[in-house]
Amino acid sequence: MKTKYFILIGVVLILGIVLSGCASGLTASSWPGVTADANNAYVAGGPYVYAVNLQTGAEAWRYPAKAATSTPFYATPILTPDGQLIVSSFDHKLYSLDPRTGAEKWRFEQAKDRWIGGALVTSDSIYAPNADYNLYALSLAGTPKWVAPFQADQAIWGSPVTDGTNVYFGTLGRHVYAVNAQTGKQTWVQTVIGAVIGSPVLGADNTLYVGTYGGVLVSLNTNNGEILKQEKTSSWIWSGPAQDGTNVYVGDANGMFYAFPMIGSGQPWTQQLNGAIVGSPLVSGTTIIAGTEAGNVYFMDNTGKNVRPVAVAGKIYASPAVATTSAGPLILVAPTSGNNLLVALGLNGATQWSFTPAK
Amino acid sequence: MSWDTIIINPFTNVLLLIYKMIGGNFGIAIILFTILIRLITHPLMASQIKSSTKMTEFQQSKQWQDIQKKYKDDKEKLAQEQMSLYKELGISPFASCLPSIIQIPIIFALYQSIMRSLAATPGQLMILTRSIYPFLHLSDLAPLNSKFLWMNLGQPERVYMLGVGIPVLAVIVAITTYVQSKVTMPASANPNDQGAMMNKMMVLYMPLLLGYFALTFASGLSIYFITGNLVGIAQYALLGKVNWRALLPGQKPATNALARKK
Repeated sequence: MKTKYFILIGVVLILGIVLSGCASGLTASSWPGVTADANNAYVAGGPYVYAVNLQTGAEAWRYPAKAATSTPFYATPILTPDGQLIVSSFDHKLYSLDPRTGAEKWRFEQAKDRWIGGALVTSDSIYAPNADYNLYALSLAGTPKWVAPFQADQAIWGSPVTDGTNVYFGTLGRHVYAVNAQTGKQTWVQTVIGAVIGSPVLGADNTLYVGTYGGVLVSLNTNNGEILKQEKTSSWIWSGPAQDGTNVYVGDANGMFYAFPMIGSGQPWTQQLNGAIVGSPLVSGTTIIAGTEAGNVYFMDNTGKNVRPVAVAGKIYASPAVATTSAGPLILVAPTSGNNLLVALGLNGATQWSFTPAK
Repeated sequence: MSWDTIIINPFTNVLLLIYKMIGGNFGIAIILFTILIRLITHPLMASQIKSSTKMTEFQQSKQWQDIQKKYKDDKEKLAQEQMSLYKELGISPFASCLPSIIQIPIIFALYQSIMRSLAATPGQLMILTRSIYPFLHLSDLAPLNSKFLWMNLGQPERVYMLGVGIPVLAVIVAITTYVQSKVTMPASANPNDQGAMMNKMMVLYMPLLLGYFALTFASGLSIYFITGNLVGIAQYALLGKVNWRALLPGQKPATNALARKK
């Protein structure tokens, strides 16, 4: 009998440990976000936000001084015109840092859930999307701008975009919203096929382009939300598209990369890449850059020709970023589950430096 | 073949299929899925209850108590007599444990499939999407609508009153766990024996443990705990093994009628 009850106690203990372990797995799972100014690249790389010198690839600073497992940073950091670096965390807090030193300036603590997508910054405002279904509008000093945050139908994971009048964003609830940038009142809402995870992109002629989890690139009229066009892709689209004034570029989970002509322009083309395309493509001049889960960064001409893959150790889920240096543009790639947190490539695909944080 | 492929993915897909069939309410989907799994594993539970009852009857029998008295100073002989009595009465000492042990992976899988479906971060959503069988055409369902009543099923639950967060579900989890443990606790002839003491401890500690999980983890888990507890009570009731009197203050668990006859 003793044995039986020891087994029972053991089972309860194992149950406790396993359930705790499984549940804690819910807290942190995403990939790094990257941005850059003239001096540094800024990487939200899990426990820390790192500033990495663009010339040398050396760490300039990290925030916070001591990592806390409850405070992971993944959302793309954003620079403001008045010299702040806005970073947001899974701990429900939005932080303003000094990009030169990493010193904290202020923090916003009114959100109730994780910050997954990066904020949108304008000349006088910060528009920050949260998984608590709210879009928060703040002044550059971190104080609320609207009477109340705008509440959407579901979590907002993608960064918003603005044309100066409205702020546009999609939700996991399969909706695209336009909200007045000054008042926070809804201008229109449109239902689309599939959740919107990434950021929309604005085109010319009052058009908004949104990639969806339903495997569709949707074009909407920014004036009233009317759906103008729907382009089907071979699988789900995670991140937002990119555009160069001629085409809209987007990749899907099957590794198919698409160039869809923008309304009234461009020539369509496709390229089959190796591995799922999760991050948004990057447009740098006439070069289109996309990373894949298989660990390749593809450089392509904007005609779909001259495709050059560059292997980078790890999986590439994060959208690449571009930094302008005196030696020319640097393409910043943040692989997941590789040795390096950040790799800087030239436009010819050659590695300039790589950054691995010291422990 | 991994644990994911064999167990978690099928469970997750069935859960999502239920979610789709009922029109996108994940709270109801968890409840129905928990009931479904409990129904499938009911024969195991019935077998466990049957074996436990046999064991309790054996412990309460005069024959066993006499043997215990007779060989109280000879542990080896007592063990031999116990084994021969087990054989004679057709009791397997592990028969009551084995169904529980078989159910453990099922409970874990049920829990993990619920947690996986809730996918609260990009990494989790990526895993969920890849767990969905392509022929089910469920990818356009993900991510799920995690709102149910006043709860976000992916977050710990609180009801705010005057700025204070009250964990209503955690309290319900603790109460239903206590009630389930209390009314299904096996009878014991001697409340001071080790088994009875252990049962008493479980009645106290399990509600605290599960209540703590409900307080800390996603509220989808609490829905699963509450449903599991209520269905568990119903299963025991169907088999005539619920002792409601145990809930009354000062009431001891009823001594087994069969054992009294012996």
